[in-house]
Amino acid sequence: MKAKAIKIGWSVVYFAAGMLLLLGMWDMVSRLTKGEIPSPIATWGTFKEVMTNPFQNDPDNKGIGIKLLSSLARVGIGFGLGSLIAIPLGFVLGSSRIAMNIINPIVQILRPVSPLAWFPLGLAIFQDSPKASIFMIFICSLWPTLINTSFGVSNIPQDHKNVGKAFGFSVWKYITKIMLPYSLPHIFTGLRLSIGVAWMVIVAGEMLSGGIGLGYFVWEEGFNGGSVGKILVAILIIGTVGLLLDRLFTGLQKRFTYVV
Amino acid sequence: MSTTTTKIATQDIADSILDPVLTPSTAISINNVTVSFKTPKGAYTAVKEISLTVQKGEIVSLIGHSGCGKSTLMGTISGMVKPSQGEVIANGKRVAGPGPDRGIVFQNYSLLPWLSVYRNIYEAVDSALKDLSKAEKKELVERNLKTVHLWDHKDKLPGQLSGGMKQRVAIARAFAINPTILLLDEPFGALDALTKSNMHVELLKLWNLDNREKTIVMVTHDIEEAIFLSDRVVVMNDGPAATIKEIVSVPLARPRNKKDIVHDPVYMNTHDKLLNLLIDKFSIDDIKE
Ligand SMILES: Nc1ncnc2c1ncn2[C@@H]1O[C@H](COP(=O)(O)OP(=O)(O)OP(=O)(O)O)[C@@H](O)[C@H]1O
Ligand SMILES: [Mg+2]
Repeated sequence: MKAKAIKIGWSVVYFAAGMLLLLGMWDMVSRLTKGEIPSPIATWGTFKEVMTNPFQNDPDNKGIGIKLLSSLARVGIGFGLGSLIAIPLGFVLGSSRIAMNIINPIVQILRPVSPLAWFPLGLAIFQDSPKASIFMIFICSLWPTLINTSFGVSNIPQDHKNVGKAFGFSVWKYITKIMLPYSLPHIFTGLRLSIGVAWMVIVAGEMLSGGIGLGYFVWEEGFNGGSVGKILVAILIIGTVGLLLDRLFTGLQKRFTYVV
Repeated sequence: MSTTTTKIATQDIADSILDPVLTPSTAISINNVTVSFKTPKGAYTAVKEISLTVQKGEIVSLIGHSGCGKSTLMGTISGMVKPSQGEVIANGKRVAGPGPDRGIVFQNYSLLPWLSVYRNIYEAVDSALKDLSKAEKKELVERNLKTVHLWDHKDKLPGQLSGGMKQRVAIARAFAINPTILLLDEPFGALDALTKSNMHVELLKLWNLDNREKTIVMVTHDIEEAIFLSDRVVVMNDGPAATIKEIVSVPLARPRNKKDIVHDPVYMNTHDKLLNLLIDKFSIDDIKE
């Protein structure tokens, strides 16, 4: 109990040290560029300004919170649809060598394609740029989940399979009581990597697609609006949200890992 | 085929002398079974040309040194292991894969680590006994968990159990589906003497409840256990290409009383015989057990 408190205490200290180091370097860069890159303190001012009325929702004046939520919603839809396809497909690939041999080359060819290359294709298919961003997120959320799920499923120990065989488990019972629980930690690893990619890609996508979102905010209000401070604020928000998403999935992954 | 029938015939005669109550019929017939495994160093023949017939209601033990192929032979009956040559007939059907007519206690317990003790048994019962109502299934799980004294631990995960407790869950699971053939691979190996004795009694109770029509094949390293429970003890040679060394009958009347039979000359005789069969090949290798 006490040891745990000490451990948490130290990790807080380390985190604070890391932050101080970052702020120090940032401040130095700011001085070197003679304020071209705003200092942490100046950025803090911009941050407070950006954060006033975060959920203001006028047609031509949306708060940062609304923008964040709309980016998250797009990521959620694309990532959700991607996972909905990747997980069952991963089950199939993991349990059938033949399916794996057929699908694997396709995956190997499509996976390295830059997410941005999918955007124009999405635009051509849907004739709608928000939908094209979602399409882009969808495609890049597929691969890590698909690969990790099929890896998990193809590694189910013979012992577990034998239980299913010996007691005559139905296909449904086999999937829900053996395949899914065994591969769950792997699935969450895949989902974690996928959400990371999706979150990274959404900013680029929104720069291309415009509309309401953090990516467009960085581009339009930050770069075009000539406010490096806003760019920095956006970077910090994007980074923090990305970290929280990652933590969420790490937590889920831990929750579903079993002691054998 | 003709050789098998004569074998059955001679065994029938032997068995009818030992146990006149039963009208024996064949439950398991292992016909000329060879199992070879593919290994990186080439094929490894674990057991070679084994033939064995087990009558309905018979309790047969397999003993032999570690690694001789007992689990492999059991696997061919359960359907987990495909013979490279020969075939196994169980309940009149050629074994092509595992099935709930043959209940198994695996040597390594094989519990699903993400399911509680209760769910581990319930899911097996639910699959193997589809016709029962939910209430009947629950009752069955409860009764069998109480039999192995694990009802208080029903909500634990396998990772939170001791080796002996896991083994008892595996036993309860096999008992619960009440198969006509029970295959037990060192089912009591991880138990202390007292728990082991209780499990022996429970096993025999289960067998008696079924009018002694249940067929039980069991792997064990424990000679006393083999004699106390079995009608016949199959002693195997060492591998590779292990064969049956000798089949020893246990002509002790049932019900057997553990305390009394140890003084029975028949028991002592059988014990000596088995010990000699095992020990003449005694080597340092066996210490790793
Ligand atoms: N899947 C496999 N692949 C390769 N070799 C195997 C395989 N399964 C078993 N063997 C080999 O077959 C032989 C017999 O193994 P088996 O598990 O049947 O022994 P056993 O008599 O049950 O031993 P123990 O008493 O230690 O449980 C061993 O030499 C083992 O290495
Ligand atoms: Mg074994």
